[in-house]
Amino acid sequence: MSDSTDVATTPKAAGSGSDAAGVPIVLDHVSKRYPGTKSAAVDDISMEIPAGEIVILVGPSGCGKTTTMRMINRLIEPTSGTITIDGEDVLSLDDVKLRREIGYVIQQIGLFPHLSIAQNVSLVPRMLKWKKQRTNDRVDEMLSLVGLEPAEYRHRYPRQLSGGQQQRVGVARALAADPPVMLMDEPFGAVDPINRARLQEEFLAVQDKLRKTIVFVTHDFDEAVKMGDRIAVLDQGSKIAQYATPEEILSSPANAFVEGFVGHGATLKRLQLERLETVDLRPVTDADSAAPRVPIKATLHDVLDEMIAKAQESLVVVKDGKPIGSVALDDVLARVRELRAEAEAREGA
Amino acid sequence: MTVQLERPLDQAATTALETGVRAERSFGWRDLITPAVCAILVAAEIWYLSTRDLDAIEASQLEAAKLWDQTVQHIWISVAIAGMVLGVAIPLGVLVTRRRTRWIAPVVLLVGNVGQAAPTVGLLAIVGGFWLGFWAVALILGAYAMLAVLRNTIVGLQQVDPDVLDAARGMGMSPMAILFRVEFPLAVPVIGAGARTALVLAVATVPLGQNLGAGGLGATLFAGIGQNRDVTILAASLFIAVLAVLMDWAGAMVQRALTPKGIRTA
Repeated sequence: MSDSTDVATTPKAAGSGSDAAGVPIVLDHVSKRYPGTKSAAVDDISMEIPAGEIVILVGPSGCGKTTTMRMINRLIEPTSGTITIDGEDVLSLDDVKLRREIGYVIQQIGLFPHLSIAQNVSLVPRMLKWKKQRTNDRVDEMLSLVGLEPAEYRHRYPRQLSGGQQQRVGVARALAADPPVMLMDEPFGAVDPINRARLQEEFLAVQDKLRKTIVFVTHDFDEAVKMGDRIAVLDQGSKIAQYATPEEILSSPANAFVEGFVGHGATLKRLQLERLETVDLRPVTDADSAAPRVPIKATLHDVLDEMIAKAQESLVVVKDGKPIGSVALDDVLARVRELRAEAEAREGA
Repeated sequence: MTVQLERPLDQAATTALETGVRAERSFGWRDLITPAVCAILVAAEIWYLSTRDLDAIEASQLEAAKLWDQTVQHIWISVAIAGMVLGVAIPLGVLVTRRRTRWIAPVVLLVGNVGQAAPTVGLLAIVGGFWLGFWAVALILGAYAMLAVLRNTIVGLQQVDPDVLDAARGMGMSPMAILFRVEFPLAVPVIGAGARTALVLAVATVPLGQNLGAGGLGATLFAGIGQNRDVTILAASLFIAVLAVLMDWAGAMVQRALTPKGIRTA
């Protein structure tokens, strides 16, 4: 999952777009009102989703986050407002053709049970009339990308796969025609916690290469923090309570609603975003020989957890199994103080 | 990313249930039981007839060549009626399950219910007063069998997992593509069951249309009744029953062949 945590210091793809395969999406005063209801499901939402970023729509049930997402590929037609993808108004396009250009992943996966895995993955390329050879190659490429051995899984049927494997296929299917934009509605919500964490990390690794523009809906704030380059915290009617990087939301929530949604332990969650790599390591001393080890890829949250679990104030940091330095409790606390100072400076600005 | 089998067996079992698709088993030796039993029954009947001294009337009623012709005719009439029923009921079932034409549902179901509830024998008698022949019989018996296909088409299309349809729409499949490439294949087991019911109903009710000149084994059955010949009645009844069972079996085979492999059980 690499560098998704460095957003605060080096905004991942913000504004750059140079190496991003994705395209920007702009929602301009978009509303959805169902006939016969008093309040709008989505009330006048405006937001810019930069190319190549994962933007999370997070909020409580019924806040309209899924409705907002589904208006982007017109599974739900907006009542008013405009949505543009790469400058093009989606309402001016043919809805069926539009959706072929947008990857779509849902929690329930929705694989076609009567089609083999290969047929499921190749569906959109076939609709786009790709050549057979190109389609076949693409299926193998996509299955490998999501960690499923093509030779083994191509000819299986969805019911022969576990839930986690099915969602891998769901992601492969959505990526098959190489769409610049992906919509993901709680994609890992139905998977058990261990597999969910793995799928999340693998997906971030894939996104690191592909740089799609991704709109990702979840109700799980921890997932939002882990996956998002930016997070839009939504209140009822899809009102944007705060739209910022995970770091900003954790260190300076815009209002009481966001604070409540972030929940307790914002500081600890903030440490989940800090890699050990951002800390200057101390040289390994003889005293450390018995100390527990942590990988360099660990977060400060992991480090702190390990220190408490082992009742140790110092840990040995390893890279590829070799000790490269050590980290002490004081180093973690020093980093926390730095982060606070950064947040205060931002608030002052 | 790593390849890993995570709880493959138990999870696969759950997800098969979760898809809401009824699984069909694949072909096997068990499929031969039905025709075998039918063959034994027919052979036993033929042997029984050969041991009996048939009088002149019985002998002419049970002439082999005539019975065979009637059987073939019976099959064609039944298949034609079932085919007509499918041709009307399946499109109606599709319309009833489309959002734009959903409003016709009460009308369609009312007609279907009336068709099945109306006493078939009575209708045949009334219509027989002014209209004879194949089409009169086909219309009345078709109306009777219609509801089975209509209801199963509706249920079959409605039981398709809404998440699968959402995914299909979200991926950019057109409504027509979704109907023909997703909904129908997944509804084959249920629609097929309705079609088989219609076929069996047709086989069993065609003899009732005898007085309207429908043809088939009904001719022999009613001849036996008219002349009070138990041997003839037994033979004709048995052949009709065996025919119904065999038609259902053939329907089951076709249905299973049409069921996509992914939703058949091993």
